[in-house]
Amino acid sequence: MMAGLAGIGAAIGALGRYGSSQLGAKLMGTRWPMATLLINWLGSLLLGLLTGWQATHVMTVLFGTGVLGGFTTYSTFSHEVVMLVDQRRWGAALGYLLLSVVGGLALAGLGVYLGMIFGGGR
Amino acid sequence: MANYLSILIFAFIGGSGRYLMGQVLPASTGFPWATVVVNLLGCLILAWLSHAKRVTAHWPGAVTVGLGIGGIGAFTTFSTFSVDTVRLITQHQWGLVGAYLTVTLVGGVLCSALGVWSARKWATFPVFEK
Repeated sequence: MMAGLAGIGAAIGALGRYGSSQLGAKLMGTRWPMATLLINWLGSLLLGLLTGWQATHVMTVLFGTGVLGGFTTYSTFSHEVVMLVDQRRWGAALGYLLLSVVGGLALAGLGVYLGMIFGGGR
Repeated sequence: MANYLSILIFAFIGGSGRYLMGQVLPASTGFPWATVVVNLLGCLILAWLSHAKRVTAHWPGAVTVGLGIGGIGAFTTFSTFSVDTVRLITQHQWGLVGAYLTVTLVGGVLCSALGVWSARKWATFPVFEK
């Protein structure tokens, strides 16, 4: 039951990611994986908000595990890092990795903080 | 249209699978094993799938797109990785923070590299000189 809920959310999230990355490729090209970076940043911020806000279990599974888990992706991020290394673009690979992780952590932390301010401990 | 439908179906399976992995491997010890397992396994499969042209050439395009972007993309997650790390930081579990970051980042890159390397070695078309 809950697994199905997570699956429905993930289907919506993954479709959002596909559309966003198609749009990103059109606007910014594919030389640098900007679309994945922005998707993972936004997803980290929103999951932080949901966590800090202490949403109900059903909401957390549907929107957190489901939509945001499906929207963000680790496998594509890691593959893109390896592809930049494969092209001997060391600076781009390291920059992309650090921006993704440090930015993702900072935004997730900001999200948790804002979520706690606006709705925590209800 | 076929791509969208395929992504929906495979992402449903990938997202449900990730949830079930969380049930099988609960973070009872404080270490998010389930997220580590789905992310590293996903890195290996996506990288292999992206380069195993000799295999995927026989599949309809929508299946390859759905399985990679939908299925594996939704199976792995970046948002949970970020929030889990922040949670460990707020609990001042510095050893676990270091271990989680290292295993996920180094392990992820190694799994992706292994996927690319093995697909290029065994599952790609031979390159002919023109």
